[in-house]
Amino acid sequence: MKRFAIIGSGCAAYHAAKAIRERDKEAQIHIYSDNDLGPYNPMLTTYFVKGAIPYGALFPFGSREEIQSRLDLCWHPNCPAAGLDPEQKAIRLGDGTEEAFDGIVIATGASAVMPPIPGLDLPGVFKMRTAQDAVELKERLESGTIKSALVIGASWVGIKVVEDMVEHQVPCTLVDGAKWMFFVAAFEETARRAQKDLEAKGVQVACEQMLDHIEALPGGGLCAVMQNGRRFEADTVAVCIGVRMNVGFLRDSGIAMNRGVLVDAHMRTNYEGIYAAGDCCEAIDIQSGAPRNIGVWANAGRQGDVAGANLAGVPMEFDANILANLAHYLDYDFISIGDVSACKETDQVYGYEDERYYIRAVRSPEAIKCINMIGSADSNGIVRNIFIKSIKEPKAGLDVPAVCQLQRNGFPDSFIEFLGGISVD
Amino acid sequence: MKHIFEFDPNKCCACSACMIGCMDQNDIDLSDETCFRKTFHNEIEQKDGDVYFAYLSVACMHCADAPCIEACPVGCIRKDPETGFTIYDNTNCIGCRSCAMACPFGAPRYRKSDGKMVKCDGCNTRVKNGLQPACVRACSFGALTCVTEEEYQASGSDKACSALIDSLGLRRK
Repeated sequence: MKRFAIIGSGCAAYHAAKAIRERDKEAQIHIYSDNDLGPYNPMLTTYFVKGAIPYGALFPFGSREEIQSRLDLCWHPNCPAAGLDPEQKAIRLGDGTEEAFDGIVIATGASAVMPPIPGLDLPGVFKMRTAQDAVELKERLESGTIKSALVIGASWVGIKVVEDMVEHQVPCTLVDGAKWMFFVAAFEETARRAQKDLEAKGVQVACEQMLDHIEALPGGGLCAVMQNGRRFEADTVAVCIGVRMNVGFLRDSGIAMNRGVLVDAHMRTNYEGIYAAGDCCEAIDIQSGAPRNIGVWANAGRQGDVAGANLAGVPMEFDANILANLAHYLDYDFISIGDVSACKETDQVYGYEDERYYIRAVRSPEAIKCINMIGSADSNGIVRNIFIKSIKEPKAGLDVPAVCQLQRNGFPDSFIEFLGGISVD
Repeated sequence: MKHIFEFDPNKCCACSACMIGCMDQNDIDLSDETCFRKTFHNEIEQKDGDVYFAYLSVACMHCADAPCIEACPVGCIRKDPETGFTIYDNTNCIGCRSCAMACPFGAPRYRKSDGKMVKCDGCNTRVKNGLQPACVRACSFGALTCVTEEEYQASGSDKACSALIDSLGLRRK
């Protein structure tokens, strides 16, 4: 009987365990978790705060007990790995003991970044990543004690916290250190459009604001002071400036890392029998061919599947890793597909806008590089598929159903042509 | 017993009877929703200058390895182990559009009235009770059919909608 260990208990960990169990009914599968909860989805926290889902829905695979029973797992709650000896395939625990296994999946996820800036530990300053973060914000919002809010970071989480505030009629300001909103995904023109639309919904937006410190005001409330001296007052401050991969325990272990654990298409690390999956790893981005962390729920699930299947002896590859960021907030949707930073001055720029869609996209003669769209939610999967196909088969063009769907959904022929197809009708 | 939708474009004239069947079966209110199934009769000019006359009927393909299932952050979508159809319970749907971003066929739709995802479920209840899906029942030309997995394999057909995703080159190997 084989013994496998999974370090972490999130989406990728769950899928890895499930993939192993589907292929090996006898194996011992140990889960080492830094908490006592089942796998929860950080993306859902703001939806719970908004009241869109009950607390239980944060756990889409069920409770820890249900999963433990269903997949016959040896779950070690509040027992995170403190180190790893990849040569021996051994995990070192907090008490110094070591456990060796036949294979290991590293699936430790990521945590919200709280940099060492003065004032981030003040009451009223919070982050949004864990189920507990969500419970605390929901209680505060429902108690009516929050009268104004400042959200630092126009990130995918930050914009959802803004939505929570607006839904609770709390005046809200969004600040970001970058030159424009959604900086890592949006063209400047798209971001300016999104900012204008957000401001029209009553949210103040200020970019190029780098936080220096937060101070408590004498009469109550908080003041976030920027490096340029600008001051933003509110009685609560959300810090949503990004995430950091939970890989500190691997330092000096020999596991190859960049910001996260480096893996190949099989989710293998540089050590045989050691795999990684989810937000803690960097898989190959098929657009650039370089490792990149693309921390979205679907990727974590797929990567967990692939890691688990390979560990159980069934070869499988994860091969559709592309940047795709979707923000849906306040009845508004923005998607970016591809790498905005790969675009060059000499590339072809496509722009289109009507009452339904806003599109801005860039391509070279060889390949589409990045597509920004607003208002296109129903067609996002079709366009994303076209983008992936254009990378894998640059000469293939669009398939007929895709052209038909885009035409039906009101996309102009010029966009279809830009994507690689020619159409008349 | 798993079921498979088959579509033969050579028999389709985009008459839209399948759409009407779908709308009727699912009580779709066109003032608020769009039909789960759509038909197309488009002229597509191809890169070599030829024109392709497309007659299509498209809905959820009930992919064997459906990407929408893992994409749903709340776990609303799953496979029915009996029929093999991709079904859903949208009670906890947050309307985040993640499933739409994952679907290469544009199958998930959003109902404006409650902001929740809806999609073709293969007429799961009908099929479990020995009936054909409404769209198949309405198709006069045999372009849309729904057969059991055994019947499909015995027929030697290669027109399974559930296998279309494999042809897109998107899937894990």
